[in-house]
Amino acid sequence: MELPQDALWYKDAIIYQVHVRAFYDSTGDGSGDFRGLAQKLDYLQELGINALWMMPFFPSPLRDDGYDISDYRSVHPSYGTLDDFKIFLEAAHQRAIRVIIEMVLNHTSNQHPWFQESRSSLNNPKRDWYVWSETDTRYRGTRIIFLDTELSNWAWDPVSKQYYWHRFFSHQPDLNYDNPAVREEMWNVMKFWLEMGVDAFRLDAVPYLVEREGTNCENLPETHQIMKDFRARLDREFPGRMFLAEANQWPADLRPYFGDGDEFHMAFNFPLMPRMFMGLKLEDRKPITEILQQTPAIPENCQWCLFLRNHDELTLEMVTDIERDYMYDEYAREKSMRLNLGIRRRLAPLLDNDRRRMELMNGILMSLPGTPIIYYGDEIGMGDNVNLGDRNGVRTPMQWDGGWNGGFSAADPEALYSPLMLNPVYGYQAVNVQSQKRFEHSLLSWTKRIIKARKSLPVFGRGTIEFLYPANHRVLAYVRQFGKDTILVVNNLSNSAQAVELDLRPYKGNILIEMFGRNPFPRIGDLPYLLTMGPYQFYWFRLRRI
Amino acid sequence: MPEETILTDDFLRELINVGEVDILIGVPTYNDAKTVGQVVQAIRAGLLKYFPRQRAVIVNADGGSRDGSQELVRAASISDLQHASHVYALRTLHCVSTEYSGGPSSSVALHTILAAAELLQASSCAVVAPDSTNIEPGWIESLLRPVTRDGFDLVTPVYRRHKFDGLLIRNLLYPMNRALYLRRVREPYPLDFAFSGRLATHFLGQDLWSQEAGRIGAEIYLTISAIAGGFRLAQSFLGPRAHVEYAASDLVVAMRRSVGVLFWSLEQNGSVWQTQAQSQPIPTIGPDHELSAEPLRVNPKRLHEMFVRGVAELEPVLKSILSQATLAELQRAASLPEEDFRYSDELWVRTAYEFASAYHKAVISRDHIVQALVPLYRGKAHTFLLENRDASSEEVESNVERLCVTFERRKPSLLEMWDGRK
Amino acid sequence: MWQTIIKELTQATLDMVHGILQFLPRLAGMLIVVVFGWVIAYILKSILRTILQLARFDKLSEDAGAAQLLKRAALPSSTELLSRFVFWVAWIGFILIGVSVLGIVGLQEHVARFFGFLPRLFAALFVFFFGLLGASFFSRAALLAAVNADLPSPRLIASTIRTIIIVFAVSMGFEELGIGEHTTLVAFAIVFGALMLGLALAFGLGGRDLARHFLERRFVHERREEKEDELSPL
Repeated sequence: MELPQDALWYKDAIIYQVHVRAFYDSTGDGSGDFRGLAQKLDYLQELGINALWMMPFFPSPLRDDGYDISDYRSVHPSYGTLDDFKIFLEAAHQRAIRVIIEMVLNHTSNQHPWFQESRSSLNNPKRDWYVWSETDTRYRGTRIIFLDTELSNWAWDPVSKQYYWHRFFSHQPDLNYDNPAVREEMWNVMKFWLEMGVDAFRLDAVPYLVEREGTNCENLPETHQIMKDFRARLDREFPGRMFLAEANQWPADLRPYFGDGDEFHMAFNFPLMPRMFMGLKLEDRKPITEILQQTPAIPENCQWCLFLRNHDELTLEMVTDIERDYMYDEYAREKSMRLNLGIRRRLAPLLDNDRRRMELMNGILMSLPGTPIIYYGDEIGMGDNVNLGDRNGVRTPMQWDGGWNGGFSAADPEALYSPLMLNPVYGYQAVNVQSQKRFEHSLLSWTKRIIKARKSLPVFGRGTIEFLYPANHRVLAYVRQFGKDTILVVNNLSNSAQAVELDLRPYKGNILIEMFGRNPFPRIGDLPYLLTMGPYQFYWFRLRRI
Repeated sequence: MPEETILTDDFLRELINVGEVDILIGVPTYNDAKTVGQVVQAIRAGLLKYFPRQRAVIVNADGGSRDGSQELVRAASISDLQHASHVYALRTLHCVSTEYSGGPSSSVALHTILAAAELLQASSCAVVAPDSTNIEPGWIESLLRPVTRDGFDLVTPVYRRHKFDGLLIRNLLYPMNRALYLRRVREPYPLDFAFSGRLATHFLGQDLWSQEAGRIGAEIYLTISAIAGGFRLAQSFLGPRAHVEYAASDLVVAMRRSVGVLFWSLEQNGSVWQTQAQSQPIPTIGPDHELSAEPLRVNPKRLHEMFVRGVAELEPVLKSILSQATLAELQRAASLPEEDFRYSDELWVRTAYEFASAYHKAVISRDHIVQALVPLYRGKAHTFLLENRDASSEEVESNVERLCVTFERRKPSLLEMWDGRK
Repeated sequence: MWQTIIKELTQATLDMVHGILQFLPRLAGMLIVVVFGWVIAYILKSILRTILQLARFDKLSEDAGAAQLLKRAALPSSTELLSRFVFWVAWIGFILIGVSVLGIVGLQEHVARFFGFLPRLFAALFVFFFGLLGASFFSRAALLAAVNADLPSPRLIASTIRTIIIVFAVSMGFEELGIGEHTTLVAFAIVFGALMLGLALAFGLGGRDLARHFLERRFVHERREEKEDELSPL
């Protein structure tokens, strides 16, 4: 099978986010690896996804789950070798699955040779590769991101007796992007992987590349310029590849990352995600529609990336205090579930393991404009372990079957990189791929069906969106259009049956065809269109004029 | 028996879209465009500040306004369609409005609001008068918190009143209601109040809506119904009451609505009030009375004149209502010059009870009985004004208390008159 | 000559006795019918009274307010009234039959006309009765309204209204009875018309200011200098 050669392939993508370490262990050392991941590509192809995003797998002391990189051109030994990666890449492409890898631009591990050199003396040629200072008072007022662990953005280096800047953990010093050598080297790093065949990069922590005094050191114009330069080079030398931005910012601040279609291809829509959960609890579409109203239009060749959960905490940075308190009270009653202004829980536990709610949220994810991301394990409804530190509770081993180590690894259970989920509700014996594959009505089978429905029409990935505002505020309804296809999506956000009247006069004369059962619904006339919906139900209608 | 439909189709559709709510606030209007905008804004601010997470709705029952009152209420709604960007709200806040038929009537408005509350399963409700211009957002909390948090079923207000304001309440409604129904509700005819969904359902099921009382005086009957039904009552201090203009002819209407319905209620609730027990205070949040004493223009001479003329001209009517002794005393009192005139507490209580008894027996048309009380009340008001002209608020309060005790002490006489001898 | 007179007298007396003898059975028949009718009427009255008592008619009429009216008009209770009415109607019916038995032609006609007159009599009584009640109700209502609105001379207004209604009822009654129809009607119209004209003149000319005052208070909602105080009772 060939990779479809479409410059805008990312608009039609369905991305699966996976942790190499957590997916499948082929060597028996207790930790997942690339060979194992390659073996599970058939499962992923069957699921229907067509793009795979992996968590960082470069060599690293693993003090931040791989985001602290100590070598940009290799593979961490516990995941295999560079050759293993190449074999895996080839296998993925054969199954028409594109590969997106992490590229942490902003900082390295303090174990990286560059930092070792940089700190060794004040005169080292690589001294300027990091941001050093005599005092820790520069860039005052910049917010601290890992509030639960760090007290300052400056850390004291006893070796060179100066402070170095770090926006994240203190063992992750920030690279100095004012230095052209740094920029050149990072391009070469990216080029290394692009030449190997990698299709896209998820660029981590991009807002923080550049610091300037008197600013909040986020989203600065200099940062955007650097990215535009990278993009220009990408387009020149590797057309058809993609940059995905990780920038947890308000919509207005996110827009600049798309530039004029000359910067990032995609960016995560962070502000939307907590509001989807909020709307569900409030049983009110207002948080969702309002944030989307505030979301600016983006260039034609750009795309939002939508997700329900990921490897990090469900971040509540971009909400008001009232909203944050509400989310904490409703979704994270126990303090242990809260971390760094977020909630560290998986999708299923957040939704009380309610199948209907999981379907509804996935339905909204798949039908809003943007490319959806499925976090590994959420397709079977895996649970989380809040007793593991940091965000590791949502990074437990993938549960393949009900047998030894849940089918994840042949090693001793004590040797696993992380304990398995064992409780009767979310444990591997209750929740696993093998048992769900057998049943047509499992969450896994349902997820396959909805992915198929989504892929059946380009309208979801490429179409416009127009919100309907029915008077019943518990119903979220919108129309997607692309070319000749028009889709009406109606979602009942509430726990109780609802009646809703939709103003469909612009579409008068069309018959509604429900997309899953393919049954026709009455024709749209002059009167408001009445729909009755069960709890948490959603409809996808295709409008046809017959 | 098919019930009359009080919810029009359009209003029902709006209510369907609102869906289940936790809090419902009703605002009755009739040509109140001058004040209702401000009142609704205060209500909204109160909801957003004190109950931001609760599902709430503001329901307007309008009697046929032609000045845009309904639109003013609707404009306060917060939704994703209206980009009211200066107001931050976690949730949608619906403000819906309906026009009821039959001309303006606060009781029909209340009926509509109750029906909406029941349909939307509101557990806590409140009604706010459209001319309560002194309203603060905090009033919403003071009224609703006892219902939402403490489980009370009816919360009546306590206002900071001028010592001469609300004389009908202080001289007749409060003491008589207290003596008969045994609860010390300071404002038995409330215009801003809160109640639970339970009480709303109970009250809707009462047999008064098809009768005259259901059209004119449902508010006071709500208080009585709550007492009779064994519901939990409380009162909450709000603040100063907005001054409402009253003309001389409005007094008859006010009497019908309050005293008339109070008398009527005695028929239905005999088992509740026909006892000799003592009245009980009800839980009060904040002070249970607050009086101010700014200068206020009063015309006691006029009151006295109208009393005297009333006693004289209405003699044939009063003859069939009052006992000979009481009428004779009244006539004696009326013959005194103004400086010496005093309508004693004893005489007033006897008057009130005899009127109640006459109402019960319907010696003449009941409405005429209520109208005949008006000039006599004026006499009592005159005495009150004179006695309390220079009094401090504590002294006024103790005078009112004294009157209440007299009403309670003479209750047995009403019980006697009720059953047998006139 | 004497013999002719005695013969004539004897003949006349014999004729008279003959006539009386012929009449007597019919008289007896009438009396029997009348007595019989009385018995039937009495039975009917008792039955009706029992039924009404069982159906608590008194209570019903009290609720409707009729009881009070009757008491004030010094009439017996509704049950009693209705029973007696039925009694009289039944008995009078039998009397009618009895009279027709008598066979006195002229009398029959008069009796028939009298009974033809009865419905109108009832109607007139009806009108009088309700006129009286209406008069007292409305005059009292006017009295109360006038006192409470502080109008001058409330008693005068009340009695005026009472008089007008009574006069109106009486003239309607007389019209119904057919007694001096046109006379009373015209007289009433003249008096009423004159009264109205007089009032109009009085208001229009002499009471111009008062009328404006009155109308302003009734229809104009801004009460600035009108209010005597700033009290509100509720």
